[in-house]
Amino acid sequence: MQLDFSAIWGHFPYLLGGAWISLQVAFLAFAGGMLLGLIFASLQAFGNRVARRCVNGYIGFFMNTPQLVQIYFIFFALPEIGVLMTPYEAVLLGMTLNAGAYLAEIQRAGFESVQVTEMEAAETMGFSRIQSIRYVIVPHIIKVLFPPLSNQYIIMTLGTSMAAIFGLEELTGRAFNINSETFRSVEIFTVTAGVYIAITFLATLSLALIGRYGFRAKMRLF
Amino acid sequence: MLETLLNEIPRFFTYYNIVFLLKALFATFLLSALGCIIGSVLGFLIAVGRNTTSRILMPLRAALIIYTEMFRRIPFLVTLMLAFFVFQALNWDLPMFSVALVTVCVIGTAFIAEIVRSGFESVHDNQWDAAYAMNFSYLQTLRYVVVPQAWKVILPPVFSFFILFIKDTALASQIGVLELTYAGKVMNNKGFSATLVFGTILVLYFSLSYPLAKFGQRLEKKLAPARNR
Repeated sequence: MQLDFSAIWGHFPYLLGGAWISLQVAFLAFAGGMLLGLIFASLQAFGNRVARRCVNGYIGFFMNTPQLVQIYFIFFALPEIGVLMTPYEAVLLGMTLNAGAYLAEIQRAGFESVQVTEMEAAETMGFSRIQSIRYVIVPHIIKVLFPPLSNQYIIMTLGTSMAAIFGLEELTGRAFNINSETFRSVEIFTVTAGVYIAITFLATLSLALIGRYGFRAKMRLF
Repeated sequence: MLETLLNEIPRFFTYYNIVFLLKALFATFLLSALGCIIGSVLGFLIAVGRNTTSRILMPLRAALIIYTEMFRRIPFLVTLMLAFFVFQALNWDLPMFSVALVTVCVIGTAFIAEIVRSGFESVHDNQWDAAYAMNFSYLQTLRYVVVPQAWKVILPPVFSFFILFIKDTALASQIGVLELTYAGKVMNNKGFSATLVFGTILVLYFSLSYPLAKFGQRLEKKLAPARNR
């Protein structure tokens, strides 16, 4: 086997453009998933039995089926009832719905870690209700939630690679394109893997720094 | 829409189609189970290697850290394509199932190594020191002190990782491994409606993963209180 990376370097900027789209998709899906997860977590905490059952069903379904098949369903089955979507929309919708389930679970666990005694303690210290939420409850929740959320964000960045299957030209999609142009398969996928390692490492690094110095969360790099 | 779907159902759920789908479901299960078992063995060895302290083994530790950090940051699909093309370039004529299995093992090893390592870390430092004071060698410490306590911490996350892999192996359909998702694509290409086919596939994945996930939760609850520091 002979490796020849020289044919690849000309395509490198094109590949990096794909990395930007990957990051975009991951960020949008994460933001949407956070919102969805927040709604679900609040429904689980404050909703009546029917609402709780529905949310549990949703989370159970989305956590126990593959994201790929969920997007397959959105992309191939929904057109049969007249909902046509571009690959970008289908992938984004699928990832958002999927992330909603996982992020709801994470946020629920975070909310449950707060205890009533904390509110009472704040009241004893003469904090008003808003003050105790602002200075006691929210910092606690963020500190607990930040590590698993950043972990999930990295997992979702890696998950965007399956968008390539639906013809979306993000990092892996562009790797497939360059592959069919140059046929230097091993080289191109090695470089792609390197780009993934680089962007997720940068994301972990910056999230760990923000978490440690911004919210005093316990985070580590290795 | 609903009418055509209802018309298709008897044509879809014939004996041979059901056997085909169940075989594909078994392939999915086999792929993730084998990957997890082999990954557990190799991951355990890596964790043991990473925990060594002697100076001579420094390069080994560095290599193991690079390995685990690398393969936890490459998407499944990219590792799969890489394995596929490397075997092609080496002219090894492996069946597609083996290529996917190698990928699953490589990734599983990296993730499980990390789980096992954090399991080792859950055993308090004092216990390591006490074993050292008793003149236990490193391997003896692991065998008689650490592993008997750490396995309760290690087992639940390894099990949930196995369930995660049942879902991740859906990507193996991309290189043509005959597992559940690929079976769905085949059925869809035969002309069955995508709603019916992928709906069935989703239900099948759910019926495999959900009981295992429930079992994993029970396992975790059962083992958790026994944990002591």
